[in-house]
Amino acid sequence: MLSIKNLKAEIEGKKILNGLNLEVKAGEVHAIMGPNGAGKSTLSAVLAGRADYEVTEGTVDFDGKDLLELSPEDRAREGVFLAFQYPIEIPGVSNTNFLKTAINEKRKYQGLEPMEATDFLKMMREKMELVEMDKSLTSRSLNEGFSGGEKKRNEIFQMAMLEPKLGILDETDSGLDIDALRLVSEGVNKLRNKERSFIVITHYQRLLDYIVPDFVHVLYKGRIVKSGDASLAKELEEKGYDWIKQEVEANS
Amino acid sequence: MFRISLFEFRIYREIMLVENIKAEFNLYKNQAEKSDFFLKREQAFAEFEKVGFPTTKNEEWKYTNLKNITNQSFQSTCESTIETELMLSHAFLKDLTANKLVFVNGTFRSELSTIIETNESIVISTLAKAKTAHSELFNKHFGKYAPIEGQGLNAMNTALLSDGAFVYVPNKKTVTNPVIIVNIADSTDVNVLCQPRNLIIVEKSASLTLVETFYAVGNNPSFTNAVNEVYANENAHIEHYKIQNQEGESYHNNFTQIFQEANTNINHVTLTLSGALVRNNLHFFMNGQNCNSLLYGLYMPHGNELVDNHTRVDHAFPNCHSDELYKGIMMDKSVAVFNGKIMVHLDAQKTNAYQRNQNILLSNEATVNTKPQLEIFADDVKCTHGATIGQLDEEPMFYLRSRGIPGDVARKMLLNAFADDIAERIKIPELVELLEQEIEKKI
Repeated sequence: MLSIKNLKAEIEGKKILNGLNLEVKAGEVHAIMGPNGAGKSTLSAVLAGRADYEVTEGTVDFDGKDLLELSPEDRAREGVFLAFQYPIEIPGVSNTNFLKTAINEKRKYQGLEPMEATDFLKMMREKMELVEMDKSLTSRSLNEGFSGGEKKRNEIFQMAMLEPKLGILDETDSGLDIDALRLVSEGVNKLRNKERSFIVITHYQRLLDYIVPDFVHVLYKGRIVKSGDASLAKELEEKGYDWIKQEVEANS
Repeated sequence: MFRISLFEFRIYREIMLVENIKAEFNLYKNQAEKSDFFLKREQAFAEFEKVGFPTTKNEEWKYTNLKNITNQSFQSTCESTIETELMLSHAFLKDLTANKLVFVNGTFRSELSTIIETNESIVISTLAKAKTAHSELFNKHFGKYAPIEGQGLNAMNTALLSDGAFVYVPNKKTVTNPVIIVNIADSTDVNVLCQPRNLIIVEKSASLTLVETFYAVGNNPSFTNAVNEVYANENAHIEHYKIQNQEGESYHNNFTQIFQEANTNINHVTLTLSGALVRNNLHFFMNGQNCNSLLYGLYMPHGNELVDNHTRVDHAFPNCHSDELYKGIMMDKSVAVFNGKIMVHLDAQKTNAYQRNQNILLSNEATVNTKPQLEIFADDVKCTHGATIGQLDEEPMFYLRSRGIPGDVARKMLLNAFADDIAERIKIPELVELLEQEIEKKI
């Protein structure tokens, strides 16, 4: 589904990604871990199409399409969804209107008619239940005055509504207490299926107690330096990142 | 032979409108009855002769140059020749159930106007009629609130005003439907000068919704110089909306003084959609405790248009509240000026006064000059002010796009959201709808 080859990217002349390779197949959950400054958030930003990052080398193939050639909106409409680390507040744009626009723009892209209002509302209700989102939040402005947990849950709710092929969770656990973390994770788990893949970017292992990954990769200095299964995350939790850094330095 | 040098010619051009006004006043003077009203006008004319038009040397007019107006001549008594239907097709809110007073080139057009108010104690009429039919009220209030000293344009209006609305709402009465004052400048044949003058009196515990609309037709320049005096007696409630949509070479200056007695509640919204040069002077004076003054504005100039909002709120008594928010969406080479002054007088303890001006530049060539001002002489007050000028934020834009919403749709959503802060202050749904359509059209 997603194939990243030798990806190099920089921001304002500063090299962040230095030849990153990653293969994600349909239905797989990959966790990307790593110390601060390793390039975790850059990876998500580059995949979502943030303009401030410049890709200097490498390719990203998404279901046969060159992802890097697509605008952010086309990436979304092709099925990439980024759950933001810091979802922003947009006063004056209602949650409902926003989602209706997003869904209908995606349908337009796929050559489909806009969704019937009743179908849309039904879908809203179902997905809200799925992520246990409070009904009152949908009538409010997008994320305006939402707590940290509500914002993250709203990201998962949007993901549920937009039904992407690939969900990228960028440090979704940051700033969440344990209850909010559980709710968000349960929401994600309900969205897991054979077709849908996830890239879970996190600094801490605790999120992976809830969203159990198929693969864990360690990102350091812009490259994946170690890969393993879920047990690697546990090892990192116990030993920290220093041993990985030493291993990398010793090999270079 | 005698030759006018270019320099002299330029001087001559600049005083063109002044000469124009003088000639017109002399004409009027010779025919007029020597009434109190005449004396007021003569006095105003003397003031106008003394101070003339404001220039950019005047701090209050630093960014707004009237030379394109003052170097032309305008005619103030000209008949409109275009068809009524065509003319009214330009007017907004046609289908709104309301009392309508229509003025074309400053002249009241009764055949285009409708008064549906059935309560006979409520007066919805014209200034020309009220002068005699309600002379007591007229003399008590006319010219009492809009100052002429040092105010050339107000003086000019007072000296040569055409006509305008007169609304009187007695104690405890409510005008059920809005009163809409439709001002149309028709410059099809000549350069036209309109000087509307409205006098609005809302007595104790009475309430009124007032809408002023301005349009222009014709290709010649037009100059509208309007003065409003609004008096709100104790406990009165007024909803006041001003919509300016004069396309083409239309110049507009507007002075509105709202005089509030104790416990009054005024909600004012100015929407400036179009106009080559629009200058709004909106002044509130709180003459008692527990007044509430709300001032909101939205402007979205395009091309080379200039919109200048000068507001002043005088907190003269304790325990009053004012909230002001003006928002601008700037396109092309347009220019906006905002100058908001809040004066908190020595006795006005426990004042709550808030003021903000926010601008979005959609073009690299647009300009905003903003100056929020607070002058506080009391020591127990809560006041804030601030201004922002910026582009549409990248972050919300990216957020919307990352959900599959294309850039142009996202941009519209965000601009609508920006304007929404003002739209939600409007309590006439038809007007909100209209604003949404206009935003859609303009952006």
